Amino acid sequence: MGSLHQILSPDFLLRNSVYTSVLVGCACPLVGVFLVMRRLIFMGVALPQISSTGVAVALSIPLWLGFKPTDHASHALAFTGSMAFSLAAILVLAFLERRGRGQPEGRLGTAYVVAAALSILLLAKNPYGELGWLDMLKGEIITISNLDLALTAATLTLVLAMLGFFYKELLLVSFDRELAFILGKKVVFWDVVLYVLVGLTVSMAVLSVGPLIAFGFLLIPALTAHTLARNMRQFTGLACLIGGVAAFCGFWIAYQWDLPVGPTDVVLLGVFYGAGWAASRAVRRSS
Amino acid sequence: MDGPLISFHDLSVGYNGRPVLSGITLELPRASFTAILGANGSGKSTLLKTLLGLLPPIEGRIDAPSVVFGYVPQSIQFDPIYLLSGFEVALMGVYGRVRPGKRAAPSERAFARECVEAAGAGEFARKPFAELSGGQKQRVLIARALATRPNVLVLDEPTAGVDITATHAVLDFISQIIREREITVLFVTHDFTLVRDHAQHVVWLHQGRVLQGTVAEVFTPELIFEMGMD
Repeated sequence: MGSLHQILSPDFLLRNSVYTSVLVGCACPLVGVFLVMRRLIFMGVALPQISSTGVAVALSIPLWLGFKPTDHASHALAFTGSMAFSLAAILVLAFLERRGRGQPEGRLGTAYVVAAALSILLLAKNPYGELGWLDMLKGEIITISNLDLALTAATLTLVLAMLGFFYKELLLVSFDRELAFILGKKVVFWDVVLYVLVGLTVSMAVLSVGPLIAFGFLLIPALTAHTLARNMRQFTGLACLIGGVAAFCGFWIAYQWDLPVGPTDVVLLGVFYGAGWAASRAVRRSS
Repeated sequence: MDGPLISFHDLSVGYNGRPVLSGITLELPRASFTAILGANGSGKSTLLKTLLGLLPPIEGRIDAPSVVFGYVPQSIQFDPIYLLSGFEVALMGVYGRVRPGKRAAPSERAFARECVEAAGAGEFARKPFAELSGGQKQRVLIARALATRPNVLVLDEPTAGVDITATHAVLDFISQIIREREITVLFVTHDFTLVRDHAQHVVWLHQGRVLQGTVAEVFTPELIFEMGMD
């Protein structure tokens, strides 16, 4: 329990990492709920990877132009690249999905694997790659500055506020597009709002915790919550809670046993999913 | 106020510029129960989507001044992944009058509750929508359509996936709505018997042809034979 007291202490050296981890753990599932409801689970896999490719491309630009940016400029570039790639990908993939032509899984699979390969290629050709980029792409949660924490908190608060404020519109457009159109709602506008929120969350999560963990937090808490919840309020609340608890406990376990934080979080989420599934089956059998 | 509520003028409907139905000119009388009858692929859903504004017409026009549609889609089209109760689905009918970012006012919630009761869905409105039977879902969707305060109720195959007892209950209820609320009902189906038993007017689509009139006018032995329904 000593390590738990240390983590909870305001003087804890890695407190920014704990806060960021929990913030991402709580916020990602909230947009993940919409991805799950819209049956865009593969999008949740591909987007973080594409977003991290955006980071690699953005960080390559100064090198191609022949100068080395400062740390702050690197972070700004990384966020811009991540956001631009996430948004472009989600808008293009969602548009193609709506048209209903071709094979959506094939497109997403291709996008995922090409993005992953491109990131590796860009890293291989970068002299600074091994020094700092790899950490950024892996989501090195240990080195979170106050500025990074503030940016993450501000972005995720904005996403949270928008989701809460326009929940009714986003739910209506997701559940029944035809009704939304007949009622005079701007369906495409609300789709874009949702995709921008997903893009923002994914970009911030990828920069903070890396693509693998971002994917884990986007989808697994929402899928777990869906097995347990009876209504939408429980669904979103539980998803947020599961993400936050997994992020905190994952950090604690990793700190206690000197494990990498990200993979610990994801394995813990997997355990939660298994437990949620077993609990929901037990409840169904008994009722 | 005695003229038709909706008029189609030389209308062509279809997808990507390819017409499924052409040259449709017809009028829908006020406070009537009109059925659009046709086999699968006859173009009835395309015509309905064009009327609702979900598809643009290829040619011609639709005159529907001051019409507010209440739309009842097929209940089987909804994804059970949404954990919404019957009442929450019905409440969506009032969202057209609620500004973005605002919650439905208590008066609107009360109105949605009234519509749920009027549609006979009060008993099961608190249950998850996904767990309701086909007939119960239809009642919730009718309540949602009524909550839009429509003057035209549009039902797309409302009896798909609904057993025969519930089918007649739903259609009797729709007939009652027409009498009580003076709403025009447009009902899309492939079920000849349902149209004969419940509708007043028929728009019959068959292999690109459109027949229209009252049930007595359209369902003559000669026309039924001609349309290949004997």
